[in-house]
Amino acid sequence: MAISAEEKNGVFIYKVDGNIDISNSPDVKKYFDNAITDKHKEVIINLESADYVDSSGLATLVEILKNVRAHQGKLKLVGLSDKVKGLFEITKLDKLFNISTE
Amino acid sequence: MIKTTIENDSHLLKEASKDLIKALKEKGVRESTIFDIHVGFEEALRNAMIHGNKQDPSKKVTVETEIMDNEVRIQVEDEGDGFDPKDLPDPTQDENLLKESGRGVYLIRHLMDEVRYENDGRRVIMKKSLT
Repeated sequence: MAISAEEKNGVFIYKVDGNIDISNSPDVKKYFDNAITDKHKEVIINLESADYVDSSGLATLVEILKNVRAHQGKLKLVGLSDKVKGLFEITKLDKLFNISTE
Repeated sequence: MIKTTIENDSHLLKEASKDLIKALKEKGVRESTIFDIHVGFEEALRNAMIHGNKQDPSKKVTVETEIMDNEVRIQVEDEGDGFDPKDLPDPTQDENLLKESGRGVYLIRHLMDEVRYENDGRRVIMKKSLT
């Protein structure tokens, strides 16, 4: 699992290459624990390569959201498949996250 | 019906679900249904290994899967102390949304058609229609 990062006009865009689940969620959390700083006021995570997310993946994204908020930043998740978006809706995490299937 | 016993190692979880997912794909089951079963099965395994058996490597998880014409039946049983699913807090309540854990059982209940706990919560039996 790889994560690529780029910055465009102060917006930090991360693309997670693959699923976020029990097999890699501690690594994903660790990556963002190290990456997010006070400079990260606008963060986008692109999940278009994630066909599958489980409860540990959802928990990791909650932890990343808390981390970004602790740095006074905003987080948006983009590229969600309908199935993954469905998990956010079932667990009501769509109330916490700014999410988009685009 | 296929019955397997799995070592209590969460690294084996993906391996355990692989055969079931492959069999469902070969049967031509809808992708969205396979997704629900995939999440439900792995959440049950994860709960059994981490919460049930408390990551104790001397304990095991027993899995039974049965793919019928119109339905899949999955049973996952751990060797832990059991639990009462009614005691779990609702993860969708506002005060719980930011919590790190507590969504596994909730997801199982919503993604599978029938979910039943037996043996004081050590055994979960799940069914999902394939039609």
